[in-house]
Amino acid sequence: MSTVEPSAGPTVLRILLGSQLRRLREQRGISREAAGYAIRASESKISRLELGRVGFKERDVVDLLTLYGVDGGEERMALLGLARDANAPGWWHKYGDVLPSWFQSYVGLEAAASLIRTYEVQFIPGLLQTEEYARAVVLLGHDGRSEEIDRRVALRMERQTVLARPGAPRLWAVVDEAALRRPIGGPEVLRGQLEHLVAAAKLPNVTVQVIPFGFGGHAAAGGAFSILRFADQALPDVVYIEQLTSALYLDKREDVDRYLEAMERLCVEAETPTESVLRLNQLLTDLPPAGH
Amino acid sequence: MTDEHPAPSGVDVNTPNVARMWDYQLGGKDNFAADRAAAEAVNEVLRKANVPDGRDAARENRGFLHRAVRYLAGEAGIRQFIDIGAGLPTQGNVHEVAQELAPEARVVYVDYDPVVLVHSRALLGNDPQATIIQADMRRPEEILANPELRNLIDLSEPVAVLLIATLHLIPDEESPAGMVDRLLAALPVGSYLTVTHATREGKAEAAAALTAEFARSRTTAPIVPRSRADIARFLAGVDLVEPGLVYAVDWRPDPPQPVVGAGWLLAGIGRKSKD
Repeated sequence: MSTVEPSAGPTVLRILLGSQLRRLREQRGISREAAGYAIRASESKISRLELGRVGFKERDVVDLLTLYGVDGGEERMALLGLARDANAPGWWHKYGDVLPSWFQSYVGLEAAASLIRTYEVQFIPGLLQTEEYARAVVLLGHDGRSEEIDRRVALRMERQTVLARPGAPRLWAVVDEAALRRPIGGPEVLRGQLEHLVAAAKLPNVTVQVIPFGFGGHAAAGGAFSILRFADQALPDVVYIEQLTSALYLDKREDVDRYLEAMERLCVEAETPTESVLRLNQLLTDLPPAGH
Repeated sequence: MTDEHPAPSGVDVNTPNVARMWDYQLGGKDNFAADRAAAEAVNEVLRKANVPDGRDAARENRGFLHRAVRYLAGEAGIRQFIDIGAGLPTQGNVHEVAQELAPEARVVYVDYDPVVLVHSRALLGNDPQATIIQADMRRPEEILANPELRNLIDLSEPVAVLLIATLHLIPDEESPAGMVDRLLAALPVGSYLTVTHATREGKAEAAAALTAEFARSRTTAPIVPRSRADIARFLAGVDLVEPGLVYAVDWRPDPPQPVVGAGWLLAGIGRKSKD
């Protein structure tokens, strides 16, 4: 388990790359010292690299992969791509003033993912929020200057472009009915938001499943979480759980298994995507008419 | 009749699940510790018997499936597919491969595992030409009577039925051959049957060890590798297209050069030419 503190700010891409390099080194039975020698560095530098605490030089990653016998093919390409992504500043860096570093890591992972599964209890998932709804959510948490609020909303809107770009990830969201009924920003904002959800559910890469009140307790009583998957087979899934002042990133297989199990249960218990759209339309019909 | 191998209900991560074990063998990530342990134990048994393991078999099966669907949608001109025992979706699913060649192709997946159902529904979204229905392959009448299937599949037009790495999950007591015959009887002339099946040919001991390992792990379904003659029996009601019933890698390899395969799966495609 890695707790990413607001001050530390290593990107999860670096942590992922580091953990893959450690796995490869251990498989080959190569010591940290020998690996360090190959890249003209100390044993402790290898340690720091494998923990994702320091950035990678591409040349070092090239040399380490060669030493570990990853001479070609998809795995080498994928890991070198990861090294480049881990070093490149993302578009979100320009929002550094309103974006805590633990969340920057998440935005970076979201942009690199091939599948994003998310479970939300309180709010509509961030990637599916309308601008008005997002503004109302931001206002709940911050009474800052309007300029800062604008930037937070702009960031959320820019995050959503990930779903429309070529090679976009799939988003598979499970949303509790409570989040669909809570009139954040008022009934009109909620109406616009529900209409937006119905439209989003028609996109080929977006799935929405609703957990209706009718189900008593369910598997993830613990609250909201997301599971990010990457196209490369060698990369583990990452579970993301947001807390008030930091976030948890879990990529150990035992941890991921428990959240994956909870997510599978939620999806089995939830209404099907088709039923969920019917439910959203019903909720829209039930909203008080505009102007009241 | 008591059902020794009932359909999985809900999400049971403690029982090794054959769909998730296969996902693991294909390098997928939708599997749990019990599935991985059982699949690894199987691979270990096979390595000890000096035969290729489940990963090779899974990869070769996938390669054959892609070539088979391309043949069916291309040369054979088929526009309707029923993939029975579809398993967890992965890359290059039947509807994707078929619709690349024939955009109007329609595909119905069939599986009885609720986790397979939710994954497939999420992937298929509101694709009007593909769907998944929940049904048990041991009850073909229920599959063909399903209203969602009938919405997409016109049973008066030729259909390709795919039984890919599924018949070997049904023991003889549950009469898989009778099931195939009943299925085929309901399809019009010009329909195709495609089968891949684990074989014990040339490796009876390793095959027995494989069956024993599945039983030891108490997987959701058993595995029954069969002889070539028994597998050919499933295809008795159709005329096999070239090259007949062969190892999966030898079925119209692309590029067309001989490949040495794992030798675990026999594969064949046949056309129904008479009622």
